[in-house]
Amino acid sequence: MSKREVYVIGYGITKFGEHYELNPSSSATQALSKAIQDAKISKDLIQSLYFGSLVSNRNDQSYIGAEASRECNLNIPITKIDVGNASGAGAFHQAFIAIKSGLLDCIAVLGTEKLSDFVNSSTLEKILGGTIDYLWEFEQGATLTSLYAWMTQAHMKEFNTTMEQLASVPVKNHKNGVNNPIAQFRREISLKRFLDAKRISDPIGRFDPATNCDGSAAVVIASKEFVESHSEIEKKVKVVGSAQSSDKISLHHRETLSSLLATQIASKKAYEMAQISSKDISIAEVHDSYPIGEILAIEDLGFFQKGDGGKATIEGKTQLNSDISVNTSGGLKARGDPFGATGIAQIVEIIQQMRREADKRQVDDIKYGLTQNVMGTGASVLVHILSNMEDDK
Amino acid sequence: MEPPKIWRERRGKYLVLGILCQDCKKKSFPITQYCPHCSSENIAELKLAQTGKILHFTRVSQTAEELMFYAPYIIGLVELDDGIKVTGQITDTKLEDLTEGMKVRMVFRTLSKNGEEGLIGYGFKFVLI
Repeated sequence: MSKREVYVIGYGITKFGEHYELNPSSSATQALSKAIQDAKISKDLIQSLYFGSLVSNRNDQSYIGAEASRECNLNIPITKIDVGNASGAGAFHQAFIAIKSGLLDCIAVLGTEKLSDFVNSSTLEKILGGTIDYLWEFEQGATLTSLYAWMTQAHMKEFNTTMEQLASVPVKNHKNGVNNPIAQFRREISLKRFLDAKRISDPIGRFDPATNCDGSAAVVIASKEFVESHSEIEKKVKVVGSAQSSDKISLHHRETLSSLLATQIASKKAYEMAQISSKDISIAEVHDSYPIGEILAIEDLGFFQKGDGGKATIEGKTQLNSDISVNTSGGLKARGDPFGATGIAQIVEIIQQMRREADKRQVDDIKYGLTQNVMGTGASVLVHILSNMEDDK
Repeated sequence: MEPPKIWRERRGKYLVLGILCQDCKKKSFPITQYCPHCSSENIAELKLAQTGKILHFTRVSQTAEELMFYAPYIIGLVELDDGIKVTGQITDTKLEDLTEGMKVRMVFRTLSKNGEEGLIGYGFKFVLI
């Protein structure tokens, strides 16, 4: 594998939530131009733009990247990367590969989504139907939520995971989200409120799913050679692992519903690339679109033994400044989930933590940070590892 | 659903046909050009078992417009007696009357209605035996 080193040199992110006043391209432009400013480089040095978005084609304008680059006055290649609702991390992975290959030296990566335009929730359900097996799950009547309900049931049955353990995931994430200025929900929700909420797809309750919202996030990534030849660059965070894996899209074709094979494979590849193990990770941003999502993630990523995720969470082993601080940003649950933007927002949180810009949610003594972005029910998973170490192996 | 798609999927949706690989002898569903187990092209159509048992089930109350006709409804993961697993609605019953492992049988029903003038989507659901 290429020895070329890749760094994130700048980031930009918008406030997540409902932004009826912003059109899709304005939101994307905000994040992109903030990222370029943060990198301190002249925008003319950016050689390519990769962007990820699940539904931009249903916002009438399919090629939002083009509008964003017009507002930034760039005439560079613009490519949309499609990994469903994990397109943000997908775009980052492809940009990483492009720099690693040696062909490009400086790339902007953008994740963007504008979901408040879909006022009829049936429209969004149909869009999410495209992230699961549309023909043999969605048209049969299943939805993303109902499939996550089955995964939750399977974990509860196999490992005696309790409703309290499950609810402790969003309780923790809302607590973290209070201190994240860009989060959609900056308030705590009690365990009781999660438990007492009406069940929408048993055992999933009314407050369990992350909300689909508007938001954009961008980063500028560059090769080590580029960073060394541009003294204006002040801050850099090294990307040491980037991997993607896939699994059967339909749950009825999988061997088990109590783990995500794609997470296991992608994280193994990412750890190998970074030459580290799960023990070296200090902070992680994982795909908690439903409470079971985070429990599966912390097990499949190797932070805890299979089946111990719920217990570890309720015992506080994943809270801020514990051995492994999970979803310090508030996760998808409190930050909000603008599908394509989420994968980049996860990386932005790790960068903020490593640059010690996370204020009240700051974690101390970070070695490595990991992100895990899931498409659908795990048909595709991306794992990225960033390093805070001065001199890497 | 558009007519070409309904026409194309008729053997899977209406007749519930899967495939039996003539080389590795494994069954699979839905119909595909290649065996998903061994990638052989040497496949034959296979009628799936009409009865099975519920592995998982839950309620759906919000979905696409064309599927909202019967909502809230129950969606289940069913293991058929031939070992094939499929996703389908469990109908003519109530959520509180169901438990995992219950035996079900396949029935032919309306799945979707695309407005007043659109085509009706048909397919299989399950009822308790």
